[in-house]
Amino acid sequence: MSVDQRVEPLVSSLPLEPAAVVRTVRRRSRDWSRVGYGLLGLLLAALLWEVVSLVKDDPVILPSVQATLRTAYDTLTQPYPAVQGRTLLGHALVSGLRIVAGWGAGVVVGVALGGAMASVKPLRHVLDPLIELTRPLPPLAFIPLFIVWFGIGETSKFLLIVVGVTPIMVIATVSALDAVPAELVKAGRSLGASPLHALVTVRLRAALPGIVTGMRLAMGGAWTSIVAVELIAASSGLGYLINNAGVNLQTSLVLSGILAISVLGLLLDGLLRLLQRATDPASR
Amino acid sequence: MTVTTAPAVQVQGVRRQFAGSRRSGGRVALDGFDLTVAEGEFLCLLGPSGCGKSTLLDLLAGFSEPDGGAVLVGGEPVSGPGPDRGVLFQTPMLFPWLTALDNVLYGPRARGALDDETRERARELLHTVGLGDAVDAYPHELSGGMRHRVAFARVLVNRPRLLLMDEPFGALDAITRVALQRFLLELWQRDRTTIVFVTHDVEEAVLLGDRVCVMSGSPGRTRAVIDVDLPRPRSIDDTETLPFVQLKRRVRQALEKEHA
Repeated sequence: MSVDQRVEPLVSSLPLEPAAVVRTVRRRSRDWSRVGYGLLGLLLAALLWEVVSLVKDDPVILPSVQATLRTAYDTLTQPYPAVQGRTLLGHALVSGLRIVAGWGAGVVVGVALGGAMASVKPLRHVLDPLIELTRPLPPLAFIPLFIVWFGIGETSKFLLIVVGVTPIMVIATVSALDAVPAELVKAGRSLGASPLHALVTVRLRAALPGIVTGMRLAMGGAWTSIVAVELIAASSGLGYLINNAGVNLQTSLVLSGILAISVLGLLLDGLLRLLQRATDPASR
Repeated sequence: MTVTTAPAVQVQGVRRQFAGSRRSGGRVALDGFDLTVAEGEFLCLLGPSGCGKSTLLDLLAGFSEPDGGAVLVGGEPVSGPGPDRGVLFQTPMLFPWLTALDNVLYGPRARGALDDETRERARELLHTVGLGDAVDAYPHELSGGMRHRVAFARVLVNRPRLLLMDEPFGALDAITRVALQRFLLELWQRDRTTIVFVTHDVEEAVLLGDRVCVMSGSPGRTRAVIDVDLPRPRSIDDTETLPFVQLKRRVRQALEKEHA
């Protein structure tokens, strides 16, 4: 570059660290060895499962790994229950949509409330005790109440997730906004940003990684809620499938449902991880 | 260069008070404070913590308004923060989600003044501060000293007529600190930007400044203004010369007198 030849660095005497390159490469190789160890752990767990199932030799107590995988594979195409049922994918889709809808609404409400609380002091004093009171409550405690109020339809499921997600998001948003140093916003302002521009591009932007972390935490809670409510009052969804299969002693199907939850959970968390990496360079 | 008749900074009878509890009735940080800084001068504000030096810098930067008196920069009263006054904080305050280059370009981008010429100049500035190879690095990938130098470039890209520094090297280890002091001396030698530099380190004040304004609190007042008539360009080696040591003693005595 022509620029490099024209301008003499002022600090020629200061040795530059060989920048980020070396560190990134080292981290890559460490990542790969971690993946290897992780796979080893999974294999050992599957092996233990297989050995126990062979020793017990009772598919109701514990079907073998292959039997479980075969059931999962078959249920991908065969509806369960056979009459008026859905495939494994169908149930997963129902649960997934319930999660995304309730969690999405909870995130929007939580971030909006949290943002308002972080900027308007009186509002914060009013809402703080309310949030602190609802936070330790397991959302599951609301199941009977919501069924009485809204029946066993989608509304009660949706609200149950919202109730679980919102306080987590409020707390994550407030603390993320509080943690933004005032001087960071001042820096933006003194570089020429208008108050609004600094609010959006500095304060909110700086809080984003913390908010995304809250989103990941809330997602975990949302899964607990939805599976629990589907166990009790539903005619579709992975929770329903697990419960129904359990009642009918179809253990391999129960395990298939559990596997499906963990795959779906990993998938959604993976998407959020991507979002986290996109918002926070330090987490890459 | 534009010829300005007004001094770079004029602070006249400034009073600044902070709201306190009903019993204490608030704290007066500055009262009847006067200060004039000439164009191209390097002024150091020296004093113990709580003497109002950071409050003064906040007023100059436009982050707060005086409760009385006038704060003029370039002959005009300060109203709100602006890119004509570059502020450097004790920590670099880089935006962690932006690369070094994008940090430097934040100001022009926020003002809608980003063009190819500015882009080129930002790269040039990063090269000048010794970070030509780290243009695309994120702040967390840089060392403490490197982050400070990005912060310099981020301010300098706006071509400020005044640099305000609030103990910028206070939190650094001794080696990095000396490197950055040397860097600042070279930078000032080249550009001759007016600088108001807040510090509580006597040696740093004497090494960098044309004048050292010794403050005492509270409320903050000027106790002594000491001319540092050491030859320029200066280097770290000057700290071992006799005139330097003598000046340092004078400044320290002025600082200690008020505590007696």
